[in-house]
Amino acid sequence: MKPAAFDYVRARSVSEATDLLAKKEGDAKILAGGQSLTPMLNLRLARSSLLIDIKRAEGLRSLEADGSIVAIGAGWTHAEIEDGAVEDPTRGLMRHVARGIAYRAVRNRGTIGGSLAHADPAADWVSTMAVLGATLVCEGTGGKRRRVAADGFLQGAFLTQLAADEVLVAIEVPRLSAQARWGYYKVCRKAGEFAHALGAVIHDPAKNICRIVVGATDGPPKLLPRTAAALAADRMAEALDGLDREIVAVLPEHEPAAQRLHATAVRRAIAAMSTTMDH
Amino acid sequence: MATLSLSINGRSVTAEVEPRTHLADFLRGDQHLTGTHLGCEQGVCGACTVLIDGKPQRSCLTFAIDCDGADVRSIEGFDNDPLMNELRAAFTKYHALQCGFCTPGMLASARDIVSRLGEVSEERIRLELSGNICRCTGYVGIVEAIRSVSLGKPPAMTAVVANARPLKRVSEETVVRTAEPMPRAQAGISKAEGSSLEERIVINAPVDQVWDALSDLRRVAPCVPGAEITEIEGETVKGRVRIALGPIKPSFGGEAHVTMDPAKREGRMSGRGRDSGTGSSAEGEASWRVIEGDAGQSVVIVALSWRLTGMLSQFNRSGIVQDMVHRLASTFAANLEAMLKGEASPPASPQGLNPLRLIWSVIIKRLFGWS
Repeated sequence: MKPAAFDYVRARSVSEATDLLAKKEGDAKILAGGQSLTPMLNLRLARSSLLIDIKRAEGLRSLEADGSIVAIGAGWTHAEIEDGAVEDPTRGLMRHVARGIAYRAVRNRGTIGGSLAHADPAADWVSTMAVLGATLVCEGTGGKRRRVAADGFLQGAFLTQLAADEVLVAIEVPRLSAQARWGYYKVCRKAGEFAHALGAVIHDPAKNICRIVVGATDGPPKLLPRTAAALAADRMAEALDGLDREIVAVLPEHEPAAQRLHATAVRRAIAAMSTTMDH
Repeated sequence: MATLSLSINGRSVTAEVEPRTHLADFLRGDQHLTGTHLGCEQGVCGACTVLIDGKPQRSCLTFAIDCDGADVRSIEGFDNDPLMNELRAAFTKYHALQCGFCTPGMLASARDIVSRLGEVSEERIRLELSGNICRCTGYVGIVEAIRSVSLGKPPAMTAVVANARPLKRVSEETVVRTAEPMPRAQAGISKAEGSSLEERIVINAPVDQVWDALSDLRRVAPCVPGAEITEIEGETVKGRVRIALGPIKPSFGGEAHVTMDPAKREGRMSGRGRDSGTGSSAEGEASWRVIEGDAGQSVVIVALSWRLTGMLSQFNRSGIVQDMVHRLASTFAANLEAMLKGEASPPASPQGLNPLRLIWSVIIKRLFGWS
């Protein structure tokens, strides 16, 4: 239950971290809050010759905003988002999601960027950013930045579009309008555990946005455009009617019980839309 | 070793630590502050919860070196804390502990609940306390104790919203969009049940050619990064498979027994492997069969079953390995085709995870372990 030995460097800047990543060629790991990585290290499931701690790296706790986007630095913790220390541009969705992540003691240390980069398919931010249509800002060596759509960021479990020398530095979250409604539901047997199935829905008629995501799929979260289109057209019965078929279509390899569980999560997220406003 | 300076219960401490030492071990082993308890060491049980810079955090998921400059408060540091005195008295009154193992973490969380939320409902206490496990199951007393102390107390001031600077828009930089992260195997039909799986892979090459390649381990092995066959003796194959799933990178070494039936174009393998890094063992069976597909194509049917013991099995999330195997099957099909046509393999995907080496490890069946 003790990690294998590693070296530790506290990076003062993102460029120091990306240079080290490039130099170590995949043998180094970024440490942000470490709330997912450290259990793996303690269990010796993961080993790394070098941990690059970016917790105090300059710029990772930045916060920038304009009329349509809030760009949240990757180093903000779940608890800070839960408490509203970071402006929530999503009419309460992000605060609601943050409060449901693991436990307060974990949320006080774990970061939004770390969770996304770790890319556990069952992690809340993975599905939340996908349904929000957020953009993830990745920085590589030489300060080169790429912006990646959150709904395609995961390639599979623990596998993202981040290149070997890249660090996730910020998350650009689009603002929802005052008319926007959202619903979020995850199936857990115990509060704080990773979800077995997850549904997230956003309907913002003023911005012509209606998106539904099924998450915790053991792989990337999946958009449900057909159900969303029916929902946007106010054809609720049709949306719910076609949901099971669309779940089967996007998760064809899941067992029927798992497909049912995911459909239930989405159905409950849709049902929660009218009641979960502005937490 | 690295030098660490921090404040522990109001006392300045400077010490030499190994980077891998977590804060709980540092408190207990170096500082002899044994009130911090270690239960699971993976962040689940909450027994090691201490305050770091005033906020409850897991000392088992915090490296001591990462606390350089921090203000740490363990259970020993609350002797003169009025709120903790109230909680201690309430824990006594409501019989909120039996063996006492979880109590230091319970008190750290309880103090945070009351000081942050003020008067709080039983339901909210139970939710907030879900990260602290009591194996004596004395939750009723614990919840009542916390509720009694919270009565009439105000919540902490709401968080100050951080100021956002104006967003600097980057000049119309393209956002990378991926409709489908990875192509699925063509007509890939597969069944998955627990720790077994059947995958069908369509290959654009004639049946005999595919079988030739699949039945010649020496021919396929060199195309497979991460898999290394060290010895083939009769029907016994020895080797090693390195795989990667994010930060988890086991390397299974072992041997397998292989039988081939050229008439049926069918192969079977059973074997076992061990990864000393994670202290995990995997054993299982695999079979593969090449049949004619449509229009000169071949279909490879791979059936796998596996059993896993050791640390990796504790991390068992069987869906994740299945998803990965499906995902890799598509790339395996492409790579196998490329190999049969004498083309170079496609470049490895990001993060060093090359699907071919993974599917190969599936075929030679030590992967199975790891899920």
